[in-house]
Amino acid sequence: MITGRREKELKEAAAFIMRNVTAVVGDVSLLEDLDRLYAVVKEKHGHIDILFANAGAGTIAPLAVATEAHFDQTFDVNVKGLFFTVQKALPLFKDGGSIILNSSVSNVLGLPGFSTYAASKAAVRNFARAWTLELKDRKIRVNAMSPGAIETPALETTTGLTPEQAEQAAAQFASQIPMGRRGKPEEIAAAVTFLASDESSFITGVDLAVDGGMAQV
Amino acid sequence: MTRLNGKTAVITGGATGIGRAAAKRFVEEGAFVFIFGRRQEALDAAVADLGANARAVKGSVSNEADLDRLYAAVKAERGSLDIVFANAGAGGPLPLGQITAEHIDETFDTNVKGTIFTVQKALPLMGPGGSIILTGSSAGTTGAPGFTAYSASKAAVRNLARTWAEDLKGTGIRVNVLSPGATATELAKEALGEEGQKAYGAMTPLQRMADPAEIGAVAAFLASSDSSFMTASEVAVDGGLAQL
Repeated sequence: MITGRREKELKEAAAFIMRNVTAVVGDVSLLEDLDRLYAVVKEKHGHIDILFANAGAGTIAPLAVATEAHFDQTFDVNVKGLFFTVQKALPLFKDGGSIILNSSVSNVLGLPGFSTYAASKAAVRNFARAWTLELKDRKIRVNAMSPGAIETPALETTTGLTPEQAEQAAAQFASQIPMGRRGKPEEIAAAVTFLASDESSFITGVDLAVDGGMAQV
Repeated sequence: MTRLNGKTAVITGGATGIGRAAAKRFVEEGAFVFIFGRRQEALDAAVADLGANARAVKGSVSNEADLDRLYAAVKAERGSLDIVFANAGAGGPLPLGQITAEHIDETFDTNVKGTIFTVQKALPLMGPGGSIILTGSSAGTTGAPGFTAYSASKAAVRNLARTWAEDLKGTGIRVNVLSPGATATELAKEALGEEGQKAYGAMTPLQRMADPAEIGAVAAFLASSDSSFMTASEVAVDGGLAQL
């Protein structure tokens, strides 16, 4: 089951995945959308084994000029949205399942102009700690996964950077990364699959950095 | 899975415990494995169990000549090396007030100096796509009463990966730390007894000690291209022990 706000992109994603996929249009910051999502999950499958709470967003807004709307939007999606994405999944969750929270290397880095985004991702990392304890009796593992700079369209399309700024940012990221390049979405998917599977059966409460070393050295 | 098909791996401290579990998993995934350890009897038993794609070399990581023999054997039979699991480690408790110079030297010789030379001497055989895994410990980030030398040595190991990720920039070789918590190896089970195992299990959010195979599975992930965008990372496999 995949969920996202944009119907056209969701349909394209479902076509790309090809099989064993259902798409539900919705916004994680709207609780009624989450209710609709889980109603469909319940009807179709009856339960959940794996949850990847991945939806997130961040726009550039330096401290001196950031608006209340900017602040609320960032935390509504990244923190509140993720919180209720997990809470509302719990009744359907099978004991022994795996929850993966998409944080970011910015949870430990200072990124000028992105302080709300970075703070929201630090909150996400910390959810994994408390929830590990809250869900331990159900044997549900909860981990954060923190990507670094990844080659997705988001940098160009959603951050509010101009194309030139986005290009500069990408080049700057690459120079700051010990591996000397940005990551590919497939490399993040491999790490998430590892955390979803029994291969990581003794890993819980961690923040798995998949960042080419960007925030590690 | 056969993610390590055709790869050559070295595992120090490979005859028993976590190293042995990783060796088993690496061989199952298609790798050819050299295990390195101090006790011939344990090495023989491990190789007999691991089968045709395993070799044993006897030696200590704190002895440079032994490491030279290890890598000469790898070079002679395989020509190159893809994976190094620098796993050999040791260290008992000795509370502050009773610590001796000998105790510090012994612990750091194996855990820090041994790890450094295990990796340095492997590099001439390694190339792009190579993966180095260092065994850290949850003790590297927590206080472990009585374990001054051991905990400090494991904090040092975690930090080696930071510098080496930079030193290895451009080589295509990744280096990560795998930090186990309480793990039910034969040695640990013997040392802790039933009561001790229960106590360690109770301290861990997952309410149990790890099976060594669970650590081996994570070592295989770090050895494989599934972790291709990870370097300088620490992966805690501790049931949440040092994470909260």
